[in-house]
Amino acid sequence: MQPDDLSRHLAPILGDRLIAVEPFPETAGRVRFRREGALDLFRAMRDDLGFRHFSTVAGIDWVDHREAVYVLWSDDAKQYVLLSVDLPAGDPRIESASGIWPSANWHEREAWEMVDLNFDHHPDLRHLLMPDGYTFHPLLRSFKLHEPEELEVKARHV
Amino acid sequence: MTTPAAEVTPPKSSPDGAFRLEAELPMVTEPAVPFLEIEALRAKEFIPAAKEALGALIAEQGQARVIRPVFNWAGRNSLFPLHWGLACCAIEFAAAFGARWDAERFGVVPRSSPRQCDLMIVNGTVTWKVAHKLITLYEQMPEPKWVIAMGNCATGGGPFRTAYSVVPGVDKLVPVDVYIAGCPPRPEAMLDGILKLEELIRERKE
Repeated sequence: MQPDDLSRHLAPILGDRLIAVEPFPETAGRVRFRREGALDLFRAMRDDLGFRHFSTVAGIDWVDHREAVYVLWSDDAKQYVLLSVDLPAGDPRIESASGIWPSANWHEREAWEMVDLNFDHHPDLRHLLMPDGYTFHPLLRSFKLHEPEELEVKARHV
Repeated sequence: MTTPAAEVTPPKSSPDGAFRLEAELPMVTEPAVPFLEIEALRAKEFIPAAKEALGALIAEQGQARVIRPVFNWAGRNSLFPLHWGLACCAIEFAAAFGARWDAERFGVVPRSSPRQCDLMIVNGTVTWKVAHKLITLYEQMPEPKWVIAMGNCATGGGPFRTAYSVVPGVDKLVPVDVYIAGCPPRPEAMLDGILKLEELIRERKE
């Protein structure tokens, strides 16, 4: 599957919510889309194009905005595909993919707690790797490493 | 039933008959059960005598001065650590109970339930996620109880001291009696830490 195939199929579904489909090494391509088209894109990727495995979602903090990169795998085409969406830093919300791929649940929990991406309609958006009550998003670039004593006071939850 | 020693033939290669195996071994002439009865009789005699001697000692010196050393002696020779592992130090912890180092010769037997333990060896990196589980396990252990912080991570956070997810030293959570440095400490170091803890228990007053 090539970027042109993806573009030909997704353009009628997404319209102007599809920004571009770019070639990306060792994948079927990198689909850049606007967050309003997230659910339609997810359904098209799973049902029409056969990307039935949700590999991961990664969050990137670009300081002026944030980016969510979804990695999907197709067992039919034996190919990965990347879905990339830019989110404003002040309101980093996007529709959850847990309804399409149930395995997205924990990946989105991790992306939320590490880089503060808010997934709407997530069934169980709580901490995964950090204890409950932890108030930081430690992989944001604004997060400073603390002195141990300071961190102990801030992170104490027991 | 013939005795095993009677069936052993002397080695043929001894020319002058100096080495005779049957002469070296004590001949077992009595059956096993009367022998055990003799031992039981000795124990029956020993226990009242020991009770009497201990009672006289208590009457002379007071209960606190006599019972406490006995409890300390029993406790430090039967330290039961919690059988768990947090990180790579647990590999050294496991190796210390293998054939080469054999920690059980000091009476150290890992138990799988905190309710049977009096020693918690924190062998690895303690994250904030696992911190309250560690405290729960510590509180489930019966008194008296001791904690050994094994390795640099448990002692002070190690290389992850400033990380966002790591407790900088397990003494922030539970009282620690002995610190063992190393990354990871070798099994000899862990056994040395246990022997240091036994010295602490020997001096215990209350």
